[in-house]
Amino acid sequence: MNRLRRFFCTPEAVAGAAILASLIAMALAAPLIFPGDPQAIAGPALLPPFHDWSLPLGTDRLGRDVLAELFHGARTSLAVGLAAAAAALLIGAIVGTLAGFAGGLIDEVLMRVTDAFQTVPSFLLALAFVSIVGPSLGVVVAAIALGAWTGPARVARAEVLSIRERDYVAGARVIGMYPLEIAFREVLPNALPPVLALSSVIVAAAILTEAALSFLGLGDPNRVTWGGMIAEGRTVLRTAPFLSIVPGVALVLTVLGVYLAGEGVVESTAVRRSLS
Amino acid sequence: MSELTISRRGLLAGSALLLASTALPTIGFAQTPKKGGRLIVAADSEPRNLNPAIVASNGVFFISSKVVETLAEASFDGKDGLEPRLALSWEGAADGLSVTFKLRDGVKWHDGKPFTSADVAFSALQVWKPLQNLGRTVFNDLTAVDTPNELTAIFKFAKPTPFQLIRNALPALSSVVPKHVYEVGKIEENPANNAPVGTGPFKFAEYKAGQYYRLTKNDAYWGKDEPYLDEIIYQVLPDRTSAAAALEAEEIQLAAFSAVPLADLERISKVPGLKVITKGYEGLTYQLVVEINHRRKELADLKVRQAIAHAIDKDFVVKTIFLGYAATATGPVPKNDPQFYTADVPTYPFDVAKANALLDEAGYKRADDGKRFALKLLPAPYFNETKQFGDYLRQALAAIGIDAEIVNNDSAAHIKAVYTDHAFDLAVGPPVFRGDPAISTTILVQSGIPDGVPFSNQGGYRNADLDALIAKASETLDTAARTELYKEFQKKVAADLPLINVAEWSFISVARDTVGNIADNPRWAVSNWADTYLAG
Repeated sequence: MNRLRRFFCTPEAVAGAAILASLIAMALAAPLIFPGDPQAIAGPALLPPFHDWSLPLGTDRLGRDVLAELFHGARTSLAVGLAAAAAALLIGAIVGTLAGFAGGLIDEVLMRVTDAFQTVPSFLLALAFVSIVGPSLGVVVAAIALGAWTGPARVARAEVLSIRERDYVAGARVIGMYPLEIAFREVLPNALPPVLALSSVIVAAAILTEAALSFLGLGDPNRVTWGGMIAEGRTVLRTAPFLSIVPGVALVLTVLGVYLAGEGVVESTAVRRSLS
Repeated sequence: MSELTISRRGLLAGSALLLASTALPTIGFAQTPKKGGRLIVAADSEPRNLNPAIVASNGVFFISSKVVETLAEASFDGKDGLEPRLALSWEGAADGLSVTFKLRDGVKWHDGKPFTSADVAFSALQVWKPLQNLGRTVFNDLTAVDTPNELTAIFKFAKPTPFQLIRNALPALSSVVPKHVYEVGKIEENPANNAPVGTGPFKFAEYKAGQYYRLTKNDAYWGKDEPYLDEIIYQVLPDRTSAAAALEAEEIQLAAFSAVPLADLERISKVPGLKVITKGYEGLTYQLVVEINHRRKELADLKVRQAIAHAIDKDFVVKTIFLGYAATATGPVPKNDPQFYTADVPTYPFDVAKANALLDEAGYKRADDGKRFALKLLPAPYFNETKQFGDYLRQALAAIGIDAEIVNNDSAAHIKAVYTDHAFDLAVGPPVFRGDPAISTTILVQSGIPDGVPFSNQGGYRNADLDALIAKASETLDTAARTELYKEFQKKVAADLPLINVAEWSFISVARDTVGNIADNPRWAVSNWADTYLAG
């Protein structure tokens, strides 16, 4: 309870949480408010915003409702962002725990692999992966996770290195638990909090990477994505700038919201730690 | 801080300048071509092989047609729509077995050697027939080129070949390359393919990858007083939105091939000093076509194909996707073709109810989720418009219960997927009509084409009637009878729908109004620009 109160004490955190909440509401409400295909042609092409109240944000080059696309785009952005971050955290935590707990040769090998992934720019990795496998939602999630798991892996390993020397780990060994069991049931849960603190950064980066991939035409073409909307609006940037500006603003707000809320969580836990 | 002072002299000078600037446009419209100047043009692709005799495509012609000339060029008012270039006259024999070209005298290659009939014979037999993408079909029956003297070339054919076809093929297929440059070594690997040597008004000077191509004036050009320009620079601007900005900033003076997006034209036409030109592409009509894979059992059913044709609102496509810069299509020959087009074909007006009824009749009832069956749709990535039409088609098909999944590929992957692997159900393609159905149109429906030939019938369509008709037309010598056969061809294609023709479009140029003699022939952007000039 205290923690929650502390979280809501910082104005940044409140702003972040508010943005995130409205974003999630948007994503959840999209199929209710705009049932059917958001890419259906709804009116005349290139209708400017605030001219027709049935199409409040106007229409794009084919006459699709920009507001409907924006709502459904929120679904894709959030889904990809969360899924990619979850996958990255999962892989990172497992690799980090194994490396830290096993030590020796396994540690060396896993960490060199991590190094290898870290030296390749994660966006290039995603770009190459999607262009080889072909764009679809699952592939995009995998591509982003592929470049994002190294951070969590390093943090998890560092945390595991200190935890594995604790008494309760030695105790678990004495009562005859299998090493893997100790690693994942005793060590990993305790190493997790600092790893999870990375999640907001990863989610924000994943949303941006997804948008960039879609912008380059490597997103799932059968779904609305904000990056794709910006790319499509780019050809008419001078005549209908709102087509790029609207999803662009949505993207900025989302990333900002995720980041601020994440910061808020970290702040409130940090305060608690220093108090205790 | 300096003070802003207004002196009488400064004011006078300023207003004089203003006056002068209003007078400038009138100077620009003066019709006497001026000599000299450097024309800077936007280029959106960088072809590696610049030999138009091997790669007969508009991307290559755009640059190399100024360097390497053809026997004849398309013309608005010349006889049979042609005007002489390297050939002065052409005559077909009554039996269709030979065509005689009389060549221009006193023409020199850029390296100073004289141009002769031996060069024409070499180009035709060693390059156009075996190596050229389009020449392979048209010159398939060419067996020999006789050169009784230096200025006469007689093409000999094994089978009667319609003179009309050869004539229509001249502007795009007859780029003449120098024999003395190409006779040593493999033609495909000759360095002149990247730095062409020709007889044209401009010489190839240099190419900087990712930056520009530079052509310089050929002082020994055969045309009187031509060329007017000293230099042409092709500035590489791969980003379509940057061409408009570069024009406005006066960094370039011409953007051809719709380098300025259609949606920007209305705005840019109001910018002082710029003009939007829709002429000069009449001989380069692109067709927006839905390619169909007839191996899918649903699509092998004529009723399904008819339903798809009825589901497409062609007027919407022309108005919204092409913003009016296109025409609706009725069949495989575009409406603007003066020789072959017929409107007397079955048509498919936009009618969703009828399309749904046809699909019900064909036995593909809607399932509980409203869908009849699912398809893979591959829009060609070459143009914004083909991609947008892909998005539109997906919606149009959704309205009749067909669930189309769009698959995006880059150019190379698209060509492989559609024309080699046949990994598509529907594809959106932009084939080009080149003045005669036999050059690049009949190949879209003809059967028996090997896998991997791009822009051909790779949908597994087989119609013995149509094949026989195409074969008959290819050996009919009489122009009227041949034209009649191609009218029949259009009717049959429109009736059986091996593919669905949706719209026909061409390109738009935007230029500064100082550029003169623009669009004075139907293939202007890919012609030699000998008479183009810069005023002011």
